Amino acid sequence: MSTGLAVAKKSVSTAGTDLLRIVRINEEIKLVVSVAFKINIMALNAIFLAKRAGTAALGFGVLSNELRVFSQDLRTCMQTLTELIHTSVGEVSVTLKNVRRTRLLRAAVRMAPNSPAAAALARREAENEAHEIQFQSLRKQLKRALEDAFQMVELGGVLAKSAKIEAAYGQSFAGALAQVSGEFDGIVEEIRSSLESLRRSTFVTAR
Amino acid sequence: MKKTETIYQDGAHKWVAIIRDQEKPGYLVDTNEYLVVNGKQGLLLDPGGAEIFPAVFSALSAEFDPSALTAVFASHQDPDICSSLALWLEFNPAMRCYISWLWESFIPHFGGDAETFVPIPDEGMDISLNGLPLRAVPAHYLHSSGNFHLYDKQAKILFSGDVGAALLPPGDENLFVEKFDTHIRYAEGFHRRWMGSNDAKRRWCERVSQLDIDMLCPQHGAIYRGADVQRFINWFDELQVGIIQY
Repeated sequence: MSTGLAVAKKSVSTAGTDLLRIVRINEEIKLVVSVAFKINIMALNAIFLAKRAGTAALGFGVLSNELRVFSQDLRTCMQTLTELIHTSVGEVSVTLKNVRRTRLLRAAVRMAPNSPAAAALARREAENEAHEIQFQSLRKQLKRALEDAFQMVELGGVLAKSAKIEAAYGQSFAGALAQVSGEFDGIVEEIRSSLESLRRSTFVTAR
Repeated sequence: MKKTETIYQDGAHKWVAIIRDQEKPGYLVDTNEYLVVNGKQGLLLDPGGAEIFPAVFSALSAEFDPSALTAVFASHQDPDICSSLALWLEFNPAMRCYISWLWESFIPHFGGDAETFVPIPDEGMDISLNGLPLRAVPAHYLHSSGNFHLYDKQAKILFSGDVGAALLPPGDENLFVEKFDTHIRYAEGFHRRWMGSNDAKRRWCERVSQLDIDMLCPQHGAIYRGADVQRFINWFDELQVGIIQY
């Protein structure tokens, strides 16, 4: 089946479901953004704590700095995802409009087969096809951006686990550092779980 | 599918009414569309809602090449008037839409761009269809706050939008009003509720009484002709409108 035909056959409910999925993705992104902000504050506190601990927590301090950079990078990455999501909402809206126009033009062709409706329908289908290609490319961009975010979170996970190890060398501050590094690890896991669910979203995986 | 009836013809100048879609779902209000043709150019009056586009299009294309429509005239902004605009533009992206200036930035939600719209000033304007003079006649607040009717002096036809409209019972297929007293009962509730201003109504009645009109063509229901035109204007003049009690 040609892409054009596939687009023409795409029901309004499919596009509507896409819209619903996008809304869910957006909600998940908002969650990740707020958690990333939390890491930033926590990392800042951890840097002060490491400074107080002095030489015993030098490694922990370096890792806290890295976690702070990670939270900022993650926010930038989520901003890219948010922009892609907003573009996707626009594209799905165009699809919804096109599906309706195509349906009505097809009905006009059925009722007036020898009229210019057939030519207008052909033009509409060509435009639908071009739009579908654009839409698929957007899905791919979204998928790539999600993969980038996921890689970043993998790194964040490694940093959090290393911070846990470094905390053990914190002498009298070991308890406090262990608590902070444990919280880092928990939050990174939370982000990983959100991103996993985004990666599984049918909107992203659909061909 | 809708029917077409030529209600006026003088050489290459004609008016075609596009009416009564038997297959239209009951939840959609029935509408009349009118095509004014002069030579090779056509002007479609109140082109209708998107859902009835296939029926209007097929009926119209039996009479006229739809890609030769130079413009549409929208009496006001309602969806049953012009939500099909984007679909008509698929045939002729250069087509223009005449509408009150008040709705110029609202109607693009149905379709079209900055080039599509020709805003009609409050006092009305002359519109030329391949040299045929037509006049956009103010009918503000009847029922829309920016509302126009279209007068063809040569054909002596006034397209009156929602003024004169009647919600006819199923099976009443008459193109023209046959018995005024019976017909007007189907128009009364509509006019009392939809027309919002007695002052505006009085001004309209005075204005159109000065026009030479053989046919008054509403967007819903049957066409008034001959003596029924003045009968309608007198009836409307007497009617108290915009008086819902809630």
